Amino acid sequence: MIWHIIKRELFDHINSLRFILTVVILSALMVTNAAVHLRTHTESVRNYSENVTKSFNKIKSRTQLYSLAEKGPGNLYKSPSSLAFIADGGNAYLPGRISNGESWSKSGPGWKVKSNWWLNYGTVNPDAKDFLPQATKIDWAFIITYLLSFIPLLFTFDALSGEREQGTLRLCLANPISRHLLLIGKFLGTLITVLIPFVFAVLLNLAVISADSWTQLNAADWGRLGLVLLIAFSYAGIFVGLGLMISAGTREPRVSLVILLLIWVATVVFMPSTLGTLSTKWMPPLQTIDQFHAARDAALKQIDTDYNDRLNAIKEKKNPNLLSLSDLQKLFETSPETARAAAEKFMAAYETEGDEELALKAELVNRDVETRERFNRQYLEAQIAQVQRARGVTRFSPAAIVQYALESMAGTGFNRHLQYLEHVHDYTKQFRQFIVDTDRADTESRHLIGIREGMSEKPFSSEAIPKFEDKIAFSDTFNTATLDLLLLVLLLGVFFSGAFLIFLRSEV
Amino acid sequence: MFRNVIRQELLNHLMSARFFAAVVITLLLVVANSIVLLEDYERRLARHSHQENIHRQKVQEAKTYSTLKLSIERPPNPLSLFSTGLDKRLGSTFEIYHGLVPMILDGSARSLDNAFLNLFSKIDLALIFQVVLSLMALLFAYDAIAGDWENGTLRLVISHPVRRGTVLLAKYIGAIVCLLIPVLMSLLLVMILLSTASSIQLSGADFLRIGGIVLTTTIYLSVFYLIGLLISTTTRRTATSLMLCMFLWVALVLVYPNWSRFALTPVGDTRAIHSSTSQQVEQIWEEVDREERRFLANSPLEGKPQKFNLDVPQSSSFNSKGNLSRRYGVDMKVSNQSDPLVPHVQKYHATMGALYIRSAEQIALVRKQSLDSTSLRKAMWHERLMKLSPASLYTFATSTWAGTDLEGMSDFVQAAQAYRRTVIDYFHDKDAFASRQWFASDKGAVDWWDLPQFRFTQAGVWDNATRALPELFLLLLMNVVLFTTTFLFFTKIEV
Repeated sequence: MIWHIIKRELFDHINSLRFILTVVILSALMVTNAAVHLRTHTESVRNYSENVTKSFNKIKSRTQLYSLAEKGPGNLYKSPSSLAFIADGGNAYLPGRISNGESWSKSGPGWKVKSNWWLNYGTVNPDAKDFLPQATKIDWAFIITYLLSFIPLLFTFDALSGEREQGTLRLCLANPISRHLLLIGKFLGTLITVLIPFVFAVLLNLAVISADSWTQLNAADWGRLGLVLLIAFSYAGIFVGLGLMISAGTREPRVSLVILLLIWVATVVFMPSTLGTLSTKWMPPLQTIDQFHAARDAALKQIDTDYNDRLNAIKEKKNPNLLSLSDLQKLFETSPETARAAAEKFMAAYETEGDEELALKAELVNRDVETRERFNRQYLEAQIAQVQRARGVTRFSPAAIVQYALESMAGTGFNRHLQYLEHVHDYTKQFRQFIVDTDRADTESRHLIGIREGMSEKPFSSEAIPKFEDKIAFSDTFNTATLDLLLLVLLLGVFFSGAFLIFLRSEV
Repeated sequence: MFRNVIRQELLNHLMSARFFAAVVITLLLVVANSIVLLEDYERRLARHSHQENIHRQKVQEAKTYSTLKLSIERPPNPLSLFSTGLDKRLGSTFEIYHGLVPMILDGSARSLDNAFLNLFSKIDLALIFQVVLSLMALLFAYDAIAGDWENGTLRLVISHPVRRGTVLLAKYIGAIVCLLIPVLMSLLLVMILLSTASSIQLSGADFLRIGGIVLTTTIYLSVFYLIGLLISTTTRRTATSLMLCMFLWVALVLVYPNWSRFALTPVGDTRAIHSSTSQQVEQIWEEVDREERRFLANSPLEGKPQKFNLDVPQSSSFNSKGNLSRRYGVDMKVSNQSDPLVPHVQKYHATMGALYIRSAEQIALVRKQSLDSTSLRKAMWHERLMKLSPASLYTFATSTWAGTDLEGMSDFVQAAQAYRRTVIDYFHDKDAFASRQWFASDKGAVDWWDLPQFRFTQAGVWDNATRALPELFLLLLMNVVLFTTTFLFFTKIEV
């Protein structure tokens, strides 16, 4: 019996105008998506590999262990995803590389210290240098979130209210058929009708994309594509359920259509961005960027003065009766002759650097790096927490859930960026460990990492330097995606049972 | 009779559930977004005045003419609430000095507290009207004729001594009035919200601009209503008419603007133009270097311009050599007050000043040409292509009214360029380039009390109107064409 209903629904829909329009619009968008992907992806892959090689060569040219510590590993690039056509994930708004932090040097009479490499996250604000009209990228996420929600509503708004108006519903239920079977039949029938054009368009898209040699999809990618389809199906199912629910509850199809479309506009078009920005208003305020800079600079200043004080203390301990710089200046005004002698003594004292001074220097450099990275990391984490909370709030909209789930599947977007940052952190540790280990292997070295005089000068194999490779690992983002998928299935259940309850109680 | 038909239409719409739902949804969206937009505006305003204070302090810190660091800020536009346009995007701090004529992309943007929040797309009031109300217009229109035809009421109406054109016009007027109600109500709400925020002061001109936005909204909504009416007249079946309307709406409002920006690349590769520009700029600077060397060869000065071979116990200086501009500042204390070299140094700086001004203007010409043939051309083409959809026409028209469009931004850049000229004229009046105070503050620091202040007033309402005219005209034209076609079809159909 249920097959009969599904079959009837299917034939009904497939012969309709809306079905043809759906096929046209979905196919057109999917083909556009594939064509643009072919055009842009080649370039991004090529750029990435060129950049990475350039970075590699730069590290290899560094033969001194100290220059590795001073100049760091060079630019660390984020690798593009081959599934970026599924969800762009605001790629332009996320930094695609991490480069060296600003270097500084500090000197005094007879001594000089240079900064070491530190991790600078950097930000991008592409809008500031661009006045082209803004638009959303037409990726699968766009097609799914907007159209796979809109189209089911157009197929379901009159599913029950229309038949009730015409009287065919009464006729249908006069047969020995239970209401829930009818509802399930309608649900599945409509869902399949919506999914036929979608799957057709997806196949068109994949046919174009897999013809390209730059995008090589492996087995895991195909598996992920399967999951993407599953997400899309359940999302479409949610809106079929919603459509049936409202349709069951209203007498006139006109009214149900208006209500559905308004719900759609609010949840799909506006909620993902409005809720995101609105929620940041009530969140604990982030430190402003000026406050952050002030706090960090104060900490760095403290380190600097500590260094100066301790250096002077060491010098005084070694050379009793050593005059300070300000005392020297005073002395010059009263008796230049004695002052000149004192100045020579002063210079001599500062020019000879013993182990103690070198250790102090190394400590300065390392504390500087550590402080900068700690502050930057804290600020970054506060920013990330804010975005995560905002994303959490936007999950009230199924469109946002799908967007995030698709991003995790495609290996793009914010979570992917976090993964990249983690890779960078791991690599930084590895890189520093390499410097320490290489230095430790040299017995002649003073083992003071961070200054030229304190580190091994022995040549080492440039092949041994760890290289940064940003591999997209789906296992990390998979957890969040499963959560999103569960939420979607839950919503599907809620709307379907809602439709069922309302339909059961409604009069025919 | 005519008024009766209108009244019937109005009552029909006003009592309907769809009207009520449309009003509620629009108002909800407007309130939620206005809160965000208002707070954002206030934050930008606070930041703006903070920056201006910093700039003022920087001016006072300069002791010599050459070390003057003058910057100006573009104030946030209160009408960005209605149409954000480029107001929040483009950099807003411009440095003013004689070695560079500022161009539109030279503004530096403030660093954001959290740049990741850019991931959430921005919404303004015009977008809400654009999306929600155009959908409503189509929902009002799809059964206007087809529904009456199906019910048989159309025959009833026509049987009265009333012309078909009158019926059509009455339906049209009734629907437009109904569509305007949510617009005006949300406007009222925004005004109430605005009056609670003390930081926003709207001028009379701003109210006229808002009036312009409302006018544009009306014309835009009428386009969508007429599209619906045309479809309704030609199909004569509500089901078909509805489907056509909905898919057309998706195509025009949601898909086409994004699609054309995403899929089309109207201007090809512009890298060649960029590289030739940077070559030309380099040549201009090489010429400056040559002249500098020539000057130094004929003068007793030696060494770096920061000190030359003067006996300078104390000096501070900065020197920046970018691809596009150069700038330096010197502040020294010459030990021998009547050093014979000092007049030579004065002459050097006077020469360099004139050279920098001249080459900056040459470079500005080169850059303007390159901008016109690359980014600006791209932007123009994208705009033109997007304008095939009335939804994009509406977006561009509202941002033009609000003054947040490209031309509004260019106005500010022009004001900045004019200010640079004023400052140079001020320097010339004081004979600053050739003065001792250009590079040395030992005979007293420069007093900046009469330095001309920068003032920027937005283009007048009339300018906004003339700029919005092409879009308005296109929208009106669409209206006329759609109405006549609908009218022709309607007089021909059999009832």
